[in-house]
Amino acid sequence: MATLELMSISKSFGSAKVLHDISLAIRDKEFVVFVGPSGCGKSTLLRIIAGLEEATSGQIMIGGEDVSTAHPVDRGISMVFQSYALYPHLSVYENIAFPLRVQKMEKAELDTRVQQAASILQLTDKLQLKPGQLSGGQRQRVAIGRSIVRNPKVFLFDEPLSNLDAALRGDMRVELSQLHRSLDATMVYVTHDQVEAMTMADRIVVLNGGHVEQFGTPMELYHHPRTKFVASFIGQPNMNLIPATVSAADATGVKVTLTGGHEMVLPVEGGRVAKGDKVEVGIRPEHVQIGDGGFPISVNVLERLGGVSITYGTLGDGVRFCASLPGDAAVEEGQPLALTVSPEDCHVFDASGDVLRRMSAPAIAANG
Amino acid sequence: MMDKYTKLQMTGIYAAVTVFLIFILLPFFEMFMASLRPLEHLFRSPYQFWSDDFSFQAYRDMWDTVPLLGRYIINSVFIASAVTGLTMIFVVPAAYAYARLNFPFKNGSLAIFLGVNMFTGAVLLIPLYRVLRSMGLLNTYWAMIVPGVAFLIPQGIWLLRSYLEKIPRELEEAAFVDGASRLYTLRRVVLPLATPGLIVVGTAVFIGAYAQQFLFAITFNQQRELQPLPAGLFEFIGYQDVTWNQMMAAALTGILPVMVIFLFLQKYLVAGLTAGAVKE
Ligand SMILES: Nc1ncnc2c1ncn2[C@@H]1O[C@H](COP(=O)(O)OP(=O)(O)O)[C@@H](O)[C@H]1O
Ligand SMILES: [Mg+2]
Repeated sequence: MATLELMSISKSFGSAKVLHDISLAIRDKEFVVFVGPSGCGKSTLLRIIAGLEEATSGQIMIGGEDVSTAHPVDRGISMVFQSYALYPHLSVYENIAFPLRVQKMEKAELDTRVQQAASILQLTDKLQLKPGQLSGGQRQRVAIGRSIVRNPKVFLFDEPLSNLDAALRGDMRVELSQLHRSLDATMVYVTHDQVEAMTMADRIVVLNGGHVEQFGTPMELYHHPRTKFVASFIGQPNMNLIPATVSAADATGVKVTLTGGHEMVLPVEGGRVAKGDKVEVGIRPEHVQIGDGGFPISVNVLERLGGVSITYGTLGDGVRFCASLPGDAAVEEGQPLALTVSPEDCHVFDASGDVLRRMSAPAIAANG
Repeated sequence: MMDKYTKLQMTGIYAAVTVFLIFILLPFFEMFMASLRPLEHLFRSPYQFWSDDFSFQAYRDMWDTVPLLGRYIINSVFIASAVTGLTMIFVVPAAYAYARLNFPFKNGSLAIFLGVNMFTGAVLLIPLYRVLRSMGLLNTYWAMIVPGVAFLIPQGIWLLRSYLEKIPRELEEAAFVDGASRLYTLRRVVLPLATPGLIVVGTAVFIGAYAQQFLFAITFNQQRELQPLPAGLFEFIGYQDVTWNQMMAAALTGILPVMVIFLFLQKYLVAGLTAGAVKE
């Protein structure tokens, strides 16, 4: 059993406060991804969990035990670093065996463990090579191999794929997901790439400026982003945010006028806003269709990807708008385009960036 | 590497290098020429660059003129090696501490080390003499080794520290996460990776030790058998005349071991001085 609980973790470097009162409960065998922009404190939080950095305040529990001041080994964690941190002078075999050598493990047992890790990671024929002779993906596997030989309770990954090229990243994502399934271990994975987060995570922690913005399943974050930040961070292409003015609001809906003059009635809880308030309406590019009765945009750039056509344009007086349309949609660059969106698909954020709860949201996918 | 110099610039660079090399190497060349000349030709006027009676005779005679010459050379190498070994024993942990650990007064003490380096041995000879005398070390090898070590430690720390700082911290963090102690990490991870740096620093210390032993030898040691070569060379100065050709021959023979070491370590020296410049 390896649950991981963070209780009010805060961290300051000198006078700079980097993490603010972070509390999370990660379940046994869960794959949790910390995602957020660069500098938001993801690595710092991971290093605190690892025991490489000490929290300024707060507690860490692993498997129900307080490990706030314990050594990394006693916490039962192992970590894969962004730079792989392989020992360049040691062979792949010795790199993987390193944690066991430290424990002075007996030779036969050590060999079994290393061979086992190597075969899981398809490194068996590379064991005698030095890290310098391997490709990026292979080095990544060696780093993972070194982390699994110790049978830790919790695996920590700090942007392990960021040094790989795009194609290899896709492959490694799949491999890591498989590894998670076969090891049956708790994994915490840090990335700034929302695609990695969406594809691999059981649950995602969105961090922003040292705060947890939201913690939930990928589809929860997609359908029910709690803040404007989460909404625009999750989903590709990014959600459109259109300034709007409230013209009427009650508990069952909000009537807004978008920039450009289009009026909509949106089924969200309107208790917090009143007539005249400035809000932003969030519309995902994949939720718009071509059709009359909606709002017009002028198309600036069109990217035909085959299956879809990504259309970048402007709405009203210069608000940028992106639409993801069918592959052969009748769109031309430089031409106006009429778009519609169904009100149930819209998100509304108040002036402070918090969402007004959607009342007719799609059901949340089963992996929640 | 980009070759971004024009022909004219290249010519200038090579001209400058040539002038520099001539400046550095000419004394050695003249030493060598002098060692080949018979003594009576040394003072011949006008200066004659080449003559037929050049020979390696001085290289044979010098062992008779100064019977202890071999001993002096061995002493030189021994003292320099001992100084190097001892210095490295102090320098490695100290440089690692300065590179990686945080402790009070870290920068201050490092500055003091550098400050000590500003004094040449000569300024401190008299106090050193008193220290060595009260410790009973005068006229022993220690009299030449101990001050040598003391004066070379600061330089060694500075050189090695900057080298160790270039070893990625993540390697040590990875070892720490895997349960390795500081010492284990130092032994299994840091030092193997720092080998080129250790060789650079070791060589610099050795050369420093070789160069500075003269001062300590003539001040702190009266025992002929213990003298290093630079001090021993005085014996070529006789009552009547100075056998310059043999002295030059002996001096060249004496620096031969250092040159050989250099040739062997050249590969590491070049690699070590530029290591870390490029992200690997
Ligand atoms: N050792 C440190 N000393 C001072 N500031 C640090 C240190 N480590 C990280 N920081 C600061 O903490 C913030 C978060 O850093 P980090 O956790 O590395 O962000 P991320 O991994 O999300 O990009 C950054 O502003 C960074 O400058
Ligand atoms: Mg980071």
